[in-house]
Amino acid sequence: MTTLGLIDPDRLALFTYSIVTWIDKDGFPFSVATDFILSENGEILLKKPSVPATMTGRRVGVLFNHITGIPTGGYTDRRYMLVWGTVSEDKGFLKLRPEEVSEWDEKILPFDKLCAAAVPQGKRYLESIQPSIDA
Amino acid sequence: MKAPNWVQDVFDRYLICEFTSIDDGKPVTFPLLFFYDNDPPKFAVTSSILFSRKIEHMKKNPKVSLLFSNPEGSGIEKHVVLVQGVAKCDDSDLDHGWERYLPRWRKKEPYIDGFLSAREQFAWFWKRIVVEIEPKKILAWKNGDTSNPAEAINL
Repeated sequence: MTTLGLIDPDRLALFTYSIVTWIDKDGFPFSVATDFILSENGEILLKKPSVPATMTGRRVGVLFNHITGIPTGGYTDRRYMLVWGTVSEDKGFLKLRPEEVSEWDEKILPFDKLCAAAVPQGKRYLESIQPSIDA
Repeated sequence: MKAPNWVQDVFDRYLICEFTSIDDGKPVTFPLLFFYDNDPPKFAVTSSILFSRKIEHMKKNPKVSLLFSNPEGSGIEKHVVLVQGVAKCDDSDLDHGWERYLPRWRKKEPYIDGFLSAREQFAWFWKRIVVEIEPKKILAWKNGDTSNPAEAINL
């Protein structure tokens, strides 16, 4: 495991690039795609993108996402890892310090089981939009 | 919108975007299927109530972004385009409101009819909120080279 033991480097190595997102000064999310490498120490180093905004010192979300296109249309082999943390300049890269992770791989948790696990959220949403009924 | 052809191609052909909502100051990004209308430029996604936390985020803060960075399955080369916009959530007709996007959804995922035929089994997956996004700012990196400055696209 890498920093803080949050991330499985073998699973992370299955992704080819990252998407870094932070909240910009105007309050909108700003996302940019960039390459990454895993150092021998298990650190996640992001290639510095050219962006008209600064992400260092802010909380960022870094998404690693994969799909495989199907020749007849659509896609399969869905998996993602979303890592929250902070980034700092490090030898020409941006070093990610992970603090929290959320991930899904349909080969590990099939989609129907993901749906079943999400039923409490669906119930909560339905209750939030339905007017209460006083008996 | 006055966008170069390669940007229009991304909106017309890419299958997914990386969609970010804001949870109390924290960016939350997930891959989502999207739909695009050119005139006026508008983006849409739909969300099952099962995965509706992002809807709760947008009801509190409608500022969102859509990044288009993954050409997989699109048949076109890689470019990267960022759209920042304001989201409007419509949950007034969870059972049928999203169905107007079904022809375009079917084009992107031809196998979706198989899931639709099992609609009773996946009943809550098919209770869906429609989110329309009005773009406010677009930046684009041709050939996906984000080490170079982005091109601003006029809306």
